[in-house]
Amino acid sequence: MQTLCFQGLTKAYGGVPALSDVTLTLSAGRVHALMGENGAGKSTLIKLIAGVVAADRMTVTRDGKTLPLRTAAEATKAGFRFIHQELNIVPQLSVAENVLLGHPAPRRFGMFIDWRRMQDKAAAALASLGAEHIDVRQQAGALATGDKMLTRIASALVAEAGAAEPCLYVFDEPTAALTASESTKLFDVIARLKAQGAAVLYVSHRMNEVLQICDDVTVLRDGRHVLTTEIAKTTRVEIIAAMTGKPVSDAIPARTTPVGQGVACRVTALDTRDLSGLNLSLAEGEILGVAGLDESSQTAFLRLILGQGRIQKGGLEVLNGPAPTSPEQAWARGIAYVPRERRSQGLMLGMGVRPNALFPHLVDYGLLADKRAEVARTRGLADQVRLRFQGTEQPVGQLSGGNQQKVLFARAIAKNPKLLLLEEPTRGVDVGARAEIHGLIRALSTQGSAVILASSDLVELLGLSDRILILQGGRQMAVLDRQAMTPADLLARIYASEAA
Amino acid sequence: MNFRSFSTALRQWGTFLGLLAIVVFFAWRLPETFPTAQNFLNISQQISMLAVAAFTMTIVMVMNDFDLSVGSTASLAGIVAAVLFAAGQPVWVGVTAALAVGVLGGVFNGFLVAYIGILPFIATLGTLTMFSGAAFMISDGKTIFGRDIPTEFAGFARFGIPLDAIGLEGAKLPLMTLAAVVVLLMVWLLLEQTTFGRRLYAIGGNRVAAELAGINTRRLRLMAFGLTGLGAAVAGLMYASRVASANPTQGAGLMLDAIAAVFLGMTMGREGEPRVLATLVGVLILGILDNGLTQMNVDSYVREILIGAIVVSAVAISAFGQRRG
Repeated sequence: MQTLCFQGLTKAYGGVPALSDVTLTLSAGRVHALMGENGAGKSTLIKLIAGVVAADRMTVTRDGKTLPLRTAAEATKAGFRFIHQELNIVPQLSVAENVLLGHPAPRRFGMFIDWRRMQDKAAAALASLGAEHIDVRQQAGALATGDKMLTRIASALVAEAGAAEPCLYVFDEPTAALTASESTKLFDVIARLKAQGAAVLYVSHRMNEVLQICDDVTVLRDGRHVLTTEIAKTTRVEIIAAMTGKPVSDAIPARTTPVGQGVACRVTALDTRDLSGLNLSLAEGEILGVAGLDESSQTAFLRLILGQGRIQKGGLEVLNGPAPTSPEQAWARGIAYVPRERRSQGLMLGMGVRPNALFPHLVDYGLLADKRAEVARTRGLADQVRLRFQGTEQPVGQLSGGNQQKVLFARAIAKNPKLLLLEEPTRGVDVGARAEIHGLIRALSTQGSAVILASSDLVELLGLSDRILILQGGRQMAVLDRQAMTPADLLARIYASEAA
Repeated sequence: MNFRSFSTALRQWGTFLGLLAIVVFFAWRLPETFPTAQNFLNISQQISMLAVAAFTMTIVMVMNDFDLSVGSTASLAGIVAAVLFAAGQPVWVGVTAALAVGVLGGVFNGFLVAYIGILPFIATLGTLTMFSGAAFMISDGKTIFGRDIPTEFAGFARFGIPLDAIGLEGAKLPLMTLAAVVVLLMVWLLLEQTTFGRRLYAIGGNRVAAELAGINTRRLRLMAFGLTGLGAAVAGLMYASRVASANPTQGAGLMLDAIAAVFLGMTMGREGEPRVLATLVGVLILGILDNGLTQMNVDSYVREILIGAIVVSAVAISAFGQRRG
């Protein structure tokens, strides 16, 4: 295959156009970035070429020959493979079974599963990704996030008998759930696939990644095609302008006021089941970044301050008092939390914006709730985070990812928290929304809120943090002053701690 | 209105239209006896116990939990009251003790589910057997009736408010019906208008997220189960009053019908969530079907098959619509 051409992609949902006459040409051996703000039509485009959603109009040609593409089965048959940001693995099954999921398992006597051949096949698929370190016999649920992603990709690699060799890989925000080092491994895999002569469509909000690993870029805005060019011939500023339709800086607002005097949080020689040897103190208004390769210890650290988890040794003082013993107490004392996984840990997707934004702050006005007051508060908060929504009762499941994240943010800032705990606050969020969230974090810090920010986005960490805590395997490896540090320095420190 | 919102509306109102269709059908086949004020008042009394159990069952089902033990809780509550009556205790003591038993049983369920972390299906299946065994033990497996049951207690189910004032000569609004309406109103206020209820919906929406957003999910689940147990006890007392007796199996049919009623109601939710007013529609469907089919002399086994089939098809149609919509 040389070129794969999708022409005139058009789709409307209930009369509202999601994609209008978009053309996309992919070449073998090249990585093509697809960019656009939340709601620009990227997801719709992927669904169309995956055959999951029927297009209103679409012509697909491979090397000039028309390709039928109306169902997911036809997409697979054509050699298209999709790797989504949600890791669709079955945690109870072994890695080998996950890799061969959806394929007929090799059998003995046509009846019993031939485990040996199954494991060999899975191991071969993983090896072609350079992931020999994964034991195909272990339960997939026990894998680190990055290895889950590799398992998922290996599963996409396995060709069904009779199906064409994969000719197109679509990665939909693959690094959203990965740490920096896992992302690096993923980029190696993508380079491998590219060298094997496949076309890669890479969907991401992360400008640095796109500039680093992609050859071409196509930008969508409001369902229309705006720009296609070679990465080498464009700039970050041009891409952002194309996405937003106006020049927006993705620069992170710098600190303009000094850090406060009071102590918001003091950790002394702290041990818990997941953490050990933590020693630091956080001033009012200070932003502490948390970096590291395993996100589980970051989560454990933030959740401990939220009142989940038990202290085994040492001390934890939060907002001039003992550590809260439950999230209920934490919120009541002015601690707010934005969890890592907005869909599974953050939001009630079937419920409206109003309850989602106000749940920690519900007040009975007399005996009964005052819905009018709540609606007014929700509108105020929505303005503050610049939420794009249709009404306070719209289910948040209908909002784009960036707007869902803003709802979580609205919940966290609703009562001017004294201590704000953030995990990946801008994951899967477009450039415009990202800048707004960064602005909000800076504004809260200026007002004196202390912030603990766990993020795998090094630019974000360096742009916002005053100091950066590096956690590895639950241990405090270093607390670094961010002054004069570059992403490369930080990455080097993170890797150094991994080796240690 | 485009097709999609039309089909959503049809799905949401389908169950209600089904109820109307059932009423129209019986009114057509039984023009003499079905569409009369007296029959509707009878139906309202017949369904009042199921209604109370189903309304309070809705409270736990809002959190995606359910309680299989309501039937044996109802039996146990009736037995406890009757045993105390037989021992010469006044009505208020028996009733209070029965209600306390309901709350304690429910709180025990809630403790197992929320604090120990047992799946509600398993926890309440276990307590179903426990409560039922306790009812047999306390009563020696006998039915308590006759002079042991005070007339004030049994009289509750017989009295009604005369409706002569609104032109229904001789008809009475049964106190049982009134009790069910009061419970409906209280559950509606609790679930829809208080922070307590809305936190329960939050737990149903996403329990992990609710916990992280500072909602005390354990305490709320415990309390919700307690209320469901209380409702079951009220239903059990109403039943004992109606038949002026108590036996350790009389609540047995309550649990399946209550859950079926909530499921029927859930077909009307925008996101398939339980709402207590929708549960009322479910209760009415079950009650009117039972009343109408009995009047048409349909064999009781056939009746069971029909009612089961209607519940399954209503939920199936809703599931189908949800997938497409």
